[in-house]
Amino acid sequence: MTLYLLKRLGSAIPILIGVSIVVFITIKIIPGDPVASLLGPTSSPQARAELTARLGLDQPLPIQYLSWGAHLFQGDLGDSIAKHVPVLSLVLDAFGNTLVLATFAAVVAFVLGILLGGVSALRRGRVSAAISNAISLFSISVPQYSIGLLLIIYLATGAGLFPTAGMYDPINGGGWGDLFLHLVLPGVTAALVPAGIIARMFRSCVIDVMSMDFIDAMRSRGLSELRILKHAFHNTLPTLMTIAGLQLGYLLGGVIFVETVFSWPGLGLLVYQSITQRDLPVIQAGVIVSALAFVVINVVVDVLQAAIDPRVRA
Amino acid sequence: MSQTVQEIPARVASAEALRVDDLAVSFAVHGGQVHAVRSVSFHVRAGQTLVLLGESGSGKSVTARAIMRLHGRRAKVTGRVELSGREVLALSDPDVRALRGSRIALVPQDPTAALDPLRRVGAQITEVLLLHRAAPDKKAAQARTRELLRAVGIPDPERAYRSFPHEMSGGMRQRVVIAMGISCDPDVIIADEPTTALDVTVQAQILDLFAELQGRLNTALLMVTHDVHVAADVADLVAVMYAGRIVETGPAADVLKTPRHPYTQALLDALPTPQTARGELHAIAGSPPVAGQEFPGCAFADRCTHALDTCRTAEPRLVEVAPGRRAACPVLNPTEAP
Amino acid sequence: MTAIALPAVRTKRRRSRRLPVSARIAAGVIGLVVVAVLLAPVLAPHNPTQGQLGERLAGIGTAGHLLGTDGQGRDILSRLLYGGRLSLLSGLIPVLVAAVIGTLLGLLAGLGNRFTNGAVMRTLDVFYAFPAVLLAIAIAAALGSGASNAIVALSVILIPPIARIAETETARLRGADFMEAARASGARTSSIAIRQVLPNIAPAIVVYCTALIGLCIVYSAGLSYLGLGIAPPAPEWGVMISDLQQYTFTKPELLLMPALAILVASVAFNVLGDGLGSYFNVRQEVR
Ligand SMILES: Nc1ncnc2c1ncn2[C@@H]1O[C@H](COP(=O)(O)OP(=O)(O)OP(=O)(O)O)[C@@H](O)[C@H]1O
Ligand code: SF4
Ligand SMILES: [Mg+2]
Repeated sequence: MTLYLLKRLGSAIPILIGVSIVVFITIKIIPGDPVASLLGPTSSPQARAELTARLGLDQPLPIQYLSWGAHLFQGDLGDSIAKHVPVLSLVLDAFGNTLVLATFAAVVAFVLGILLGGVSALRRGRVSAAISNAISLFSISVPQYSIGLLLIIYLATGAGLFPTAGMYDPINGGGWGDLFLHLVLPGVTAALVPAGIIARMFRSCVIDVMSMDFIDAMRSRGLSELRILKHAFHNTLPTLMTIAGLQLGYLLGGVIFVETVFSWPGLGLLVYQSITQRDLPVIQAGVIVSALAFVVINVVVDVLQAAIDPRVRA
Repeated sequence: MSQTVQEIPARVASAEALRVDDLAVSFAVHGGQVHAVRSVSFHVRAGQTLVLLGESGSGKSVTARAIMRLHGRRAKVTGRVELSGREVLALSDPDVRALRGSRIALVPQDPTAALDPLRRVGAQITEVLLLHRAAPDKKAAQARTRELLRAVGIPDPERAYRSFPHEMSGGMRQRVVIAMGISCDPDVIIADEPTTALDVTVQAQILDLFAELQGRLNTALLMVTHDVHVAADVADLVAVMYAGRIVETGPAADVLKTPRHPYTQALLDALPTPQTARGELHAIAGSPPVAGQEFPGCAFADRCTHALDTCRTAEPRLVEVAPGRRAACPVLNPTEAP
Repeated sequence: MTAIALPAVRTKRRRSRRLPVSARIAAGVIGLVVVAVLLAPVLAPHNPTQGQLGERLAGIGTAGHLLGTDGQGRDILSRLLYGGRLSLLSGLIPVLVAAVIGTLLGLLAGLGNRFTNGAVMRTLDVFYAFPAVLLAIAIAAALGSGASNAIVALSVILIPPIARIAETETARLRGADFMEAARASGARTSSIAIRQVLPNIAPAIVVYCTALIGLCIVYSAGLSYLGLGIAPPAPEWGVMISDLQQYTFTKPELLLMPALAILVASVAFNVLGDGLGSYFNVRQEVR
């Protein structure tokens, strides 16, 4: 198991290097001369050449990448153009808030998705299954930004049930209760799409498992349907882990719309604000941090899978 | 080692473990009913082995599953299935569950697929023992599981107990499944092609194991196979199935030596003998019937070398052709007009 | 112990011959929407980009403005009709681009040697490590706003999943008899790819891409909503949502219009994808 863990961690390294290359390339495809935009249009050619040399921009691309990568490895992601603070602390603070929202949404999505998918797999051909299929299909098609706005309209302003923006109440806020109230609307909004995806994947997984021979073999040994379902569920866990990892990763990177709509002070909102200000270092750092989180999640998923499924460990 | 029923009078005298009367199974499919099995009747006594012999698709597995009432809602099952005196088709669901695995056990074709891949082998056997209260507590069940693993000839029962299915060989897995089958000392064991998925050498070992266990436990064994050799090896009685019906039945030695139905004859003719060179197999001409195909007369008529015009109009019935033997071919077994 | 060699009877794997009713309805809806946006110049009652400030924020059902007007007095129905052109196109084009490139990559990986396969698939793994939406946003932000940049960004993030499906399907065919036969007859790999493999992997890719169009419509409108795609004042559904968002509390029903348009289009493509999936007997989950 330890060996497996080490192997899995090792295989993540090339991926991370690849990720850094892709981000480096996105920096390089930015149209326009970065030096010119730093010094302004009236700067002299000499001043530009000087800065170009100082920033190492006259070096060949691989060298530029290596020096950029070395900074990256030390956690130096540069300074925010708009806020003049190190990008990393800015991004990590925001990422923490996103993690709260994404985790909450993932839990909601999971409960909902497993219910919907389970009903639709186990009650096939019945009305209840058709209804859950329709709900899942609908929820994967929903644009989050508009559903979020609608929830604000009807549940927040209409019924006055939940706050519409932020993470804590600015006046007498703070504490878990307040956080929870603020989480409900963005959390549910963010959960909708993953819930639909989980439902659909879980459905086909349950159908696959239930059609496996050992289910029937358990029946032939006299096990009750409930007990068979328990063992069947156990057999869906490896797949479920994969789905969970994918969806949590998706949420970490995908809540940008939700955060924007609900002014949730997370990575998405930060990236959105940085778009308006063309604060590219922040956007890059945001992408790197969430890609890193994604890779970590995948490793965790694989390890959990190995813990559940002896065939993976082998 | 084929024996006739006559040679073992003790078994013949023993109680009837399983009796099937006029069993029919049909499935609701797109646009109608498929009759997979019709008018199947036979009985097996304790200690006896009945082999259901037939080509793929002839309805052997459907029959076996119907006996255990394992067919889903889309299947319509009629007739009678009597298990040690209980009418299985009339029981409530919980009562049937109580029988499955305890009074009647199924050894499936593919032992690999029949085991839960995520749980240790020992736990899966223990579960069955506890479920049917064949052991007073967990400890006893675990001890009994080890005993069972030894009884089915697994060399290192302790290790097998802790193994996951994928860590064992096919033959060992089949032994595990057999151990599970005999765990509650059932009256009837149904083995559905228990050796098809195995290597030839392992096949023989497993068949020997069945013979040995049966001798010890005095269980009735219903073995399903498409392999005439297996039938010759283990059967006391044979029932040959074709297109969902039994076409010939009787003591194995007699049926396999002097078949009274053209289909049984064709099966035997198709066997390779020491004289026939490789690749010179006498395959039965024509193709077996497609699922759900209906025949006005004898289902075998299109492939039968003895077929007469009358065969295609009237459906032949299974009639006694010799003491203890029945066949469904009036051409080979003419009866005097009444 | 030789088993008698008897042919097995297998009931043919059933393939539903007809597209499910739900998918037909979805196809009908898509057809209607496409016709409506093509006929926008005929159907639209007003100029989509010029409004009358005097008529701003008219409610739904107002005479002359069936679906009301926005904050600048522009007719929402007209904007929806014209905007649909951009929204549908920017949902369709990235999928088409990604389908072509992704299929080529998948064929390359699936038919190539171990080295080619490894190079392509490991590169795709890197792209899988990014949250797709965020990567699209980063690329679009780096390139600057504009419809074509959004399309490039979306194409990039859609390539890896399509390539992976193409590779899986191709790999599945590798051992097939007809492939061996083609190879034995000396056919070139490229001709095998086009004649033998492509027709066989096409259904899976078509099914996947159909559903992907629905997703891509949502994403591209999302980019516009964030100010990264199509720029105002051009009518586009995402732009409209972003315009109308400030009236969430006063005129929520106006906001509902572009939101519903996106929802209907996206649901329709997803339903059609599902239906095609059961028609071709392939099942895939988008994302
Ligand atoms: N659930 C079902 N629905 C419809 N038809 C079925 C079903 N199960 C079995 N059949 C049909 O019943 C027929 C008999 O099948 P069965 O599995 O009993 O064959 P078999 O004799 O066991 O063959 P094999 O050697 O392949 O196991 C087949 O033609 C099959 O297509
Ligand atoms: S009844 Fe006729 S067709 Fe059928 S097996 Fe006998 S001879 Fe052949
Ligand atoms: Mg069978």
